[in-house]
Amino acid sequence: MKRLAAGLLSAILAFALTGPAPAANRGGTLVFARAIDSQFLDPVHTAQNADIWISLNLYDTLLLASADGKSTEPGLAAAFKVSEDGKTLTFTMRPGLKFADGSPLLVSDVKWSLDRARSKEEGGEFAFLLASIASIDTEGSDTVVLHMKHPDPTILQALATFNAGIMSEKLLTAAPGATLQEKSKAFAEHPIGSGPFVLTSWQRNAEMVMSRNPYYWKPAADGKPLPYLDTVKFVIIPDDATRILKLKAGEIDVAEFVPYSRVTELKGDPKLNMVLFPAAQVNYFALNTRPTLKDGTKNPLNDVRVRQALNYATDKDALIQVVSYGTGTPQQSFMPMSTPLSYGEGPLYPYDIAKAKKLLADAGLAGGFEVTCMALAGSADDTAKLSAMQQMWAQIGVKLKIEQLEAATRLARYNATDFQMRTSLWTNDINDPNEITSILAYYPTRQSARTGWQDKRVDELFDMSQEELDPAKRATQYKEIQQLYAAGAPIIFSMEVPYPVAMLKKVKDFVQIPLGNNIFIDTYIDK
Amino acid sequence: MTLLAILARRLLHIAATVVLVALLIFALMHFLPGDPVLMLLGERATDASIAQMRHAMGFDRTVLEQFWEFLLHMTTLQFGDSITMRVPVVSLIRDRLPVTLMLTGMAMMLALLIAVPLAFVAALRQGGIADAVIRVISQVSLSMPVFYIGLILLITLAAGLRWFPVGGIGNGFLEDIYYLFLPALTLALSLSAILLRNLRESLIEVLHAEYVSFATAKGLMRRTVLGRHVLRNAWISTITLLGLHIGSLVGGAVITETVFAVPGVGRLMIDSIFSRDYAVVQGLTMVLAVMVSVVFLAVDALQAMLDPRVGA
Repeated sequence: MKRLAAGLLSAILAFALTGPAPAANRGGTLVFARAIDSQFLDPVHTAQNADIWISLNLYDTLLLASADGKSTEPGLAAAFKVSEDGKTLTFTMRPGLKFADGSPLLVSDVKWSLDRARSKEEGGEFAFLLASIASIDTEGSDTVVLHMKHPDPTILQALATFNAGIMSEKLLTAAPGATLQEKSKAFAEHPIGSGPFVLTSWQRNAEMVMSRNPYYWKPAADGKPLPYLDTVKFVIIPDDATRILKLKAGEIDVAEFVPYSRVTELKGDPKLNMVLFPAAQVNYFALNTRPTLKDGTKNPLNDVRVRQALNYATDKDALIQVVSYGTGTPQQSFMPMSTPLSYGEGPLYPYDIAKAKKLLADAGLAGGFEVTCMALAGSADDTAKLSAMQQMWAQIGVKLKIEQLEAATRLARYNATDFQMRTSLWTNDINDPNEITSILAYYPTRQSARTGWQDKRVDELFDMSQEELDPAKRATQYKEIQQLYAAGAPIIFSMEVPYPVAMLKKVKDFVQIPLGNNIFIDTYIDK
Repeated sequence: MTLLAILARRLLHIAATVVLVALLIFALMHFLPGDPVLMLLGERATDASIAQMRHAMGFDRTVLEQFWEFLLHMTTLQFGDSITMRVPVVSLIRDRLPVTLMLTGMAMMLALLIAVPLAFVAALRQGGIADAVIRVISQVSLSMPVFYIGLILLITLAAGLRWFPVGGIGNGFLEDIYYLFLPALTLALSLSAILLRNLRESLIEVLHAEYVSFATAKGLMRRTVLGRHVLRNAWISTITLLGLHIGSLVGGAVITETVFAVPGVGRLMIDSIFSRDYAVVQGLTMVLAVMVSVVFLAVDALQAMLDPRVGA
């Protein structure tokens, strides 16, 4: 009781000191400049960030990720219960939920949406996130029950992820087309979902308009419905310089993907608010660790000592300056530190030429060798970091060759494991370590991100962690995975970089969460 | 040969060109390294999902089978659906083409408006200061990359002086003209330099021709001499040059459309090539090939009208 009173008192004090939050202004249009347009707006059938990152505005989910990404909050489901054995999840839906066209959102829509998203045939690229669900039942008009094949520690976060967005069975199946895939194509042209906004017009690669969904369930602090904005207008401006010029001219309100080189300049602009949103994003260099390369030549990167040597010979702080103009932080694990269960004791492989030389000598390569790295043609970032690394590695006698390739060629070569080293970027799509681990560290999925690196213990630990409900045990498993990966060094560890977004000062409460999703639900334009 | 026979022969040429372009673009796209399925599924894709998607899109069939389907599509003018955007290619082209046509049309007009008067001034004052200045300026604008000119115009006239919007497209015809003025000017500058140099040379040549001296000696007004005799004869090679540069104008539109955020077919083409969207690249190439051929035909016809010696 005492504690409650004290809490109450401090709350009152805090309120008295800061005063009530200024009321958010309602209405208006936010003009948001994107670098690339979305491609396809069915959340189940896309793997593109440009689609994923706006999906939650159009399709609401049962649960919502909390602001820090470490837990979940109620979404379309007002409450949920997990059984003792972790194999039954019961969700109670909010009363009176509606889709953006006013039609009721039924428990059957929830079952249908999740069944489709987890199906092997219809579920698309991210079906694996929901693979632990055995079956879904509905009870009455407000209860959905998930029966699990096995306890799944990630299921709650998975239900807050874009591909678990709740769609209208009636509307999607009424779309023209013979198969569900064809119907999805037609539906995704004019999608109607359950999110705070609904798509009202779309001219490909030019502009896309989302208007507020008048039936959205969530009220603001003042009790009136969210969202605040009437419309969000996305305009597509591929050129970085043009996007910034347009923002400075006041023709747009927000510009995404500001080049890091211009962050300082824009921070000094009194009209602008230059924000670096923390991102679950890592910049690294993938190495091919196979004994021979595709063309049959011997690959020195097969030796773990060589990979460690290259890591020591890489000055991460210098790279951070060169590429991100000081906005990045050195990698402490293969996964971004904002990922739940990430583990790091400080920057991996601190710059140490002596150690690097010793490791190379131990590997019998004191005389140096040549490494070829695939870079993205036309990418200023890639050129900058690789030319810096040429100089760093020259000190241990390693000659770094840069091979400029455009995106499609590079991806095809990488997928065919026809590479020695490449520049890589990873962004988490779910607030859990399982996605990035399954791809970067776990061999069975795609040979540890095509590096060919395999550690049987890592694979075993990952399999175990996928069914481990005890958070402490799971954390121990992940700690070991990350330590083994760091020691095995199938990549050159580099940096984590934020999302640079510039906006006019009057734009308030726009958020880009670490997963990259643009969240407009609380955004408003100050008078 | 009668006009009808000429026309028939030219149409046959166009048909042959289009068929060749079709073969070439199909071969180029399919032999180019890279895979649309990989681009669509991204870096996270597993082998199983890649195989599944490849099958769903029909890319696991033989090249011959795919080529047959492509031919069928082309003959019925059905270009299929975009691989990345999953909408009919025809609708994408229909939405974008008017913008690019307007942009290149405006660029051509601006190029002529700049080139013709300046060429006259330069030619009539050959060797003078005006001539030298004009020649230097044309040399500079010719050697500057298009994206660079575009950025300079954006920074000075749009962002700086606020005379024009910073890129994008307007709402309705008049606003479109306003929005497209700077990108069109960007495209027009290098073209006008080429036209200017050519027209200046021809004007000087014609000005020294005997029939011009004769016309002047006849006592015709200077305006009549310049308009009817000098310009009409000097025009011919410039018109041909203009026609030949339609292709590079479309090429330049790719860059200007990116810098100025203009949603035309140039940007569509670039995006589609990079994402290996075969359907869009093939469809769009066919449409552009037909259009450029038709423009060449029109230029030939115009030339024949201006110069009775042609086409006889």
